[in-house]
Amino acid sequence: MSHMKYPISWRLLDALEAAAAVLWPARMRRLTAWALLAPALFLVGVLVIGLGYMVEYSLHELDLSTYRLKEAYSLTNYQTILDRPVYARVLGRTLLGAVLVTAISVALAFPYAYAIVRTPSAMVRKALLVALFLPFFIGQVVRAYGWLIVLGREGLVNSALAGMGLPTVDLLFTYPAVIFGLVQYMLPFAILLLVPALAAIPEDMELASESLGARWTSTFRHVVIPMAKPGLIGASVVVFTLTLTDFAMPEILGGGTSDFIASAIYDSFFQISNPGLGAALSMVLVTLGSLIVAGVFLVAGTGTLGVRGAK
Amino acid sequence: MTTTDFAGRRTFLKLGAAGAGALAMPGILRAQDKPSEIIVRAWGGAWGDALKEGVADPFTAATGIPVRLDFTEDNEIKPKIWAAVDQGRIPPIHVNWDTTTNATISALRGVTVDLSDLSNLEGLLPLAKPTGLEGYPLVNTYAYVYVCAYRPEAFPDGAPDSWTVMLDPKFKGRVALYDDGIGFNPIAVIAGGGSFEDIPGNMEPGYEFYRKLKENAPLLGEDADFTTWFQNGEIDLACTISVNARAARQSGIDVEWTVPKEGCKVDTDGLWVPRGLPANEEHWAKEFVNFALSREAQEKWCSLLGLPPVFPGIAPPADLVGDPSYPTTPADFERLVSVPSPVLVENQPVWFAKFSEIFQG
Repeated sequence: MSHMKYPISWRLLDALEAAAAVLWPARMRRLTAWALLAPALFLVGVLVIGLGYMVEYSLHELDLSTYRLKEAYSLTNYQTILDRPVYARVLGRTLLGAVLVTAISVALAFPYAYAIVRTPSAMVRKALLVALFLPFFIGQVVRAYGWLIVLGREGLVNSALAGMGLPTVDLLFTYPAVIFGLVQYMLPFAILLLVPALAAIPEDMELASESLGARWTSTFRHVVIPMAKPGLIGASVVVFTLTLTDFAMPEILGGGTSDFIASAIYDSFFQISNPGLGAALSMVLVTLGSLIVAGVFLVAGTGTLGVRGAK
Repeated sequence: MTTTDFAGRRTFLKLGAAGAGALAMPGILRAQDKPSEIIVRAWGGAWGDALKEGVADPFTAATGIPVRLDFTEDNEIKPKIWAAVDQGRIPPIHVNWDTTTNATISALRGVTVDLSDLSNLEGLLPLAKPTGLEGYPLVNTYAYVYVCAYRPEAFPDGAPDSWTVMLDPKFKGRVALYDDGIGFNPIAVIAGGGSFEDIPGNMEPGYEFYRKLKENAPLLGEDADFTTWFQNGEIDLACTISVNARAARQSGIDVEWTVPKEGCKVDTDGLWVPRGLPANEEHWAKEFVNFALSREAQEKWCSLLGLPPVFPGIAPPADLVGDPSYPTTPADFERLVSVPSPVLVENQPVWFAKFSEIFQG
């Protein structure tokens, strides 16, 4: 049988295989995994170098006569952070906000994700997915400005209240307004991270539990929640860290008096041109966020994310 | 030394100079090669529109060089320029339209080009010269006032006559300031019972005023926020630059402004050229600044902004004749509070830290 009788796709694949053998010989195969990891490692490396620079900056005090960092190493910037109670308060407000937003977002995301996974109606599933993905097409700043229109003194909510003869209320430029805006922003992230975890739970497990006499609440508590743990931990970590570093929502919906730590970092770098102090605040934030996430993984175990072989 | 020797040396020097001139000529000509565009950092809204109409477009008409306005935040372009100069890269803009305080900081850092040789500097008001600096690392272009802007509907008895009205509980949550205290720090000292002489040594009366004001839940924002807040009926009173209040009124928002009895802070903005530009681009960037100081540009630009220019003898726009936010005489300036730039540069970080401590606490 002539070689030409093979289908063209076979021949193409043979050619590709031959080319791959030349470009990446068999003796190199043990390095394949590293080669595939190389781009990601490069990006992480760049990040680590950047962090190294931040540590370096944070150890130099600003010279106000030249607006350059002094050459001498010192811990002045960290001392400044400790000396000024405002930083502790802003950091506390940020941490509380991150905890609240995480708790509310995950609590609201769970039933939504469950409905996406378990609904028997393809139409409902599609509608839920469209409603989930729609906000991703609208940036955070635009959404925040949208809330200014909806919640403003002459916005939709107050117009409706006035229309019903009720007094108007101040909904904007408060800490709850910031939390509200952040929850609305984080909700799709939480849902997206929960859906795969819930989809991985066979429906038969729930049916088995119920057929053995468990009520729906017991099944939910003893079967669904434990099996959804990877998704719950993943969603919580992502929402928590994103909220911890958020800038736009507190800036726009907070009215300037409910700043998160990202605003303090921005102010240090840009408003008062003190990169040393900004870098020190950044390092405090990175350290704190990393410790909290590490603590979560320590308690819950990385295995909760479904990582094979991890405990 | 013989006459022949002397003449010979003179001839040699002449020939040498002519040769050097001939060699340098292409460089001089190259220095005047027109760049494809001049990038000027600017503020947006009414500010950018005024610069475009008053300076950029006429400059393009006169030179053929297009001008692109870059609306990067003034505080955000600063570190970009500093980094570019430090690293020997070409800065991202040719001309920076900046507050005098920020421009002075950049001058102290040594990233600005000296503008002393600009022909249009001659005859300008003394206000054009930056204080506390050698030569002209920047040039001030006009003065502006942080006025007390208000909604007339909220003040049926007339304009507020004191800044202490901000503390009135009936304006709780309906008062606005800049989010870094800029434009109000010295006024807070006076409104808080101190005097101009207290600045910068004793700012405590100002901080006490802020503590009381915090109880009234003020909003803190930027230029654009004030317009939005007035437009949406979120605030009744704000300390903002008269340009913003005037622009809001011109766009149909019911806003008036006044200078209360404690006075208002008067300040200046300026233009500067970053170091590190190619010679021809630096030349034309300086030409842009020079053009902005001409009578034609000053008259148009500052009239659109509604601000008093540094070019003398220009009449105020019709709607601002006699307006306290448009100072023209020494008596007008006496009603205003002017803090020298070196004092602002030295103390702004300290004032900002305290301002944040009070309002973010």
